[in-house]
Amino acid sequence: MKLWCAALNKPWSWHWIAYPGVWLTVLLPTIIYLVAVRRHGDTDRKAIWTFLAAMVIFWASSDWPVGTLGAGYLASVHMLEYVFYTLAVAPLMLLGTPEWMARRVLARLHLARVHEWLSQRLFMSGLIFNIVLVATHSPIGVDTLRSSQLGSFAMDMSWLASGIILWMPILTPIREQRTHPFAAKMVYLFVSAGIVPIVPASFLTFASYPLYSTYELAPRVGSLTAVQDQQLAGITMKLGMAPVIWITLAVMFFRWAAQERAR
Amino acid sequence: MRKVLSIAGLITLIIGATTGCATGGSTTTSGSIFDGTVLQPPEPKPEFVLTDTQGQPFDFQAETEGKLTLLYFGYTYCPDICPVQLAQLAAVMDRLPDVERNSVVVFVTVDPDRDTPQVIRSFLDKFNTKFVGLTGTIEQVEAAQRAAGVPVAVKIGDGADYSMGHASQVIAFAPDGLAYTQYPYGTRQTQWVHDLPLILGRA
Repeated sequence: MKLWCAALNKPWSWHWIAYPGVWLTVLLPTIIYLVAVRRHGDTDRKAIWTFLAAMVIFWASSDWPVGTLGAGYLASVHMLEYVFYTLAVAPLMLLGTPEWMARRVLARLHLARVHEWLSQRLFMSGLIFNIVLVATHSPIGVDTLRSSQLGSFAMDMSWLASGIILWMPILTPIREQRTHPFAAKMVYLFVSAGIVPIVPASFLTFASYPLYSTYELAPRVGSLTAVQDQQLAGITMKLGMAPVIWITLAVMFFRWAAQERAR
Repeated sequence: MRKVLSIAGLITLIIGATTGCATGGSTTTSGSIFDGTVLQPPEPKPEFVLTDTQGQPFDFQAETEGKLTLLYFGYTYCPDICPVQLAQLAAVMDRLPDVERNSVVVFVTVDPDRDTPQVIRSFLDKFNTKFVGLTGTIEQVEAAQRAAGVPVAVKIGDGADYSMGHASQVIAFAPDGLAYTQYPYGTRQTQWVHDLPLILGRA
């Protein structure tokens, strides 16, 4: 039985594959969330739908066919997964978590101090996000981790964790931790997720040869060559992240302007 | 400032360590100048005559004389290894036009029952229209495999959907007619690009 998507070393087929590990990873937090919200009562419906949207995107990015294609066939789909995890699932999870729940989770997991430390240090949050990005997109990282279910799971979870760390200083549900001025948060997001990732994306886009043996030696899917697939992955990293970053920056700018007007 | 510099140094180290393995070096860990599996002693080019995709006899030794020759035994219904090996060769030939001009890629089917000349041609054209496809009777292709020193392919399964267990390596014959190296499934494009010009130089 397969629990998590990993490289399969066989030709791609549209025959459905069950990944119970993915279902469990998505269902468990969803059920815990819904039960907690029901018990607590008085939770904003918008937050609930936001959290559920995060879980749906998380499931769609991890399960067959996207998860399978990304784990062993196409670098471009691997990159799409990364973009979804870090720029959709992570911020939506933070937006959908009520403050009382965040406090309870952080206390239970003894992460309150870590959360406080990371929320207050923009440089460190951006650094951790980009270290995970580089490590999990390096040839040795991809080829090692994608070859096993455990490695692939570790890679996907590190993406989710790094996404949460990236967005925490901006979207933390804990009110007193939202201390950074708008200008600092905008510069932080622009540099961490808009500028630095251009470097690894350029490696992928402009490399003459396939960097990842996982995707180079996988049976081809469609008419894309390994190099074209890799170039598409680079473009996805470069351009796929841009809309989320720019929309967020625009929202932050208008909120900042509104705040200034109100003074 | 020291903290920032140490962090910058750490990032540089990570990037260096994680991207450095992406390209092939000029020497291998075995000490050979080639990245492929070295044949010791070098093997002579086998003698066999099969039929090409035009239906004409193809004398392997005579037709490939003086050229870098890449010989591969496979079959068009192969779901994984053959398409990958041929796609790798096609990509490398695109990158090395000088090598392509002075070389010939020969694909010999191990499944002549299903692989008619037309089927082979249309299969090879997906990769490179210059690749040569050969077929023959089952006895002829088995004799060709023996002559090339690879294990004879075996039929696996019954019915129309059978598969073939076959050798997965590409044997590279230098222009002097000797094979110094062969390339198993899993050979990277960087390894091909490193080795082919060296083999071509063995005139």
